[in-house]
Amino acid sequence: MPFIDIFSMLNTFLLFTAVFLSVGILEVQIPFLSSTPPPEDPKDAREFKVTVDVAKDKIELATSYSMPPTQEQKFEFPNTKEGLDQLHTKVIQIRKDTPDTDKLNLFSEDDVLWESLSAVMDSVMLRTEKDKDIVFPLAKDALEGKEKDPKAREKAENLAKVYVYPKVIMGSVMLK
Amino acid sequence: MASAGGSSKDQLSLNLNPMLDIFSILITFLLMSFSSDPVSHDVEAGIELPQSNTIIALDEIPTIVVSKTELRVNDRLISTLEAGDVPVKDQSQGAIFPVYEELKKLAEANKRVSKAKSDDPTAKGSTGALTMEMDKTHRFKLMKRVMLSAQQAEFVQFKLMVQKELN
Repeated sequence: MPFIDIFSMLNTFLLFTAVFLSVGILEVQIPFLSSTPPPEDPKDAREFKVTVDVAKDKIELATSYSMPPTQEQKFEFPNTKEGLDQLHTKVIQIRKDTPDTDKLNLFSEDDVLWESLSAVMDSVMLRTEKDKDIVFPLAKDALEGKEKDPKAREKAENLAKVYVYPKVIMGSVMLK
Repeated sequence: MASAGGSSKDQLSLNLNPMLDIFSILITFLLMSFSSDPVSHDVEAGIELPQSNTIIALDEIPTIVVSKTELRVNDRLISTLEAGDVPVKDQSQGAIFPVYEELKKLAEANKRVSKAKSDDPTAKGSTGALTMEMDKTHRFKLMKRVMLSAQQAEFVQFKLMVQKELN
């Protein structure tokens, strides 16, 4: 029967092209020392900093301003599934309260496993089903000088829908 | 007269309905799970990726592959790992010298290409991002070594491969 022939061919094609393990990516940056002066004098800018420090058994979240009053705050979470959920809730709250910054510095101890580190990254970078409806306004440097480019704006807005903190900098990666 | 093979009038009929049902269900499942990711990449044998909720799909073949026992750059064996770390002879200031050498060549090639594509003759060219596939059991120490080597070769953006959790 031609009908069964078509079904068999379609099945064979789909089975051959099927990807049963879907691979994704987490995008991160590492610090880079440059001799080029920054576009604006950083002395005038009071920036909000978010830092996450990962150890084998605990995660420390710290926030502060780069200039006085620094208003330093520290929060500690166990490096467990429950701890990661609590960290995520706290990170969402911080991002909502201080929408001007979309950058997060991530530090890790050497003995932390990549599996554990990626779980922390998931928790601080990505939105979940629960918080997908929250709207984060674009950070002040999200467009990086492309304020008039509609494509850059669209891209930044799309990133804001997927991420809590789209820019994660692996602060520990510095030459000894 | 009856024969051993039965009457010639008896016709053997195969009921195709259950088979069609199975085919339909299988096709529905396969069509629903059909991947439209920009790049189809098979994870190297012996590498287990960590699970993630990311929705960002892999968009290029990994440049750096760190399996349980080997470190490869662009499919070239750079170092054989000993107890989850590179041998001392390959280490340099916390980085991995052979990885730096290999990535430096790649960075220069990438810069040439991006400069040629750019309309601005004064443009310096960009190295682009590095995609890294690493086994989930490795410690951050090894990842840091690879990243440091890349940093020295002027790569600052990384795409770390993870396994998307099935919802």
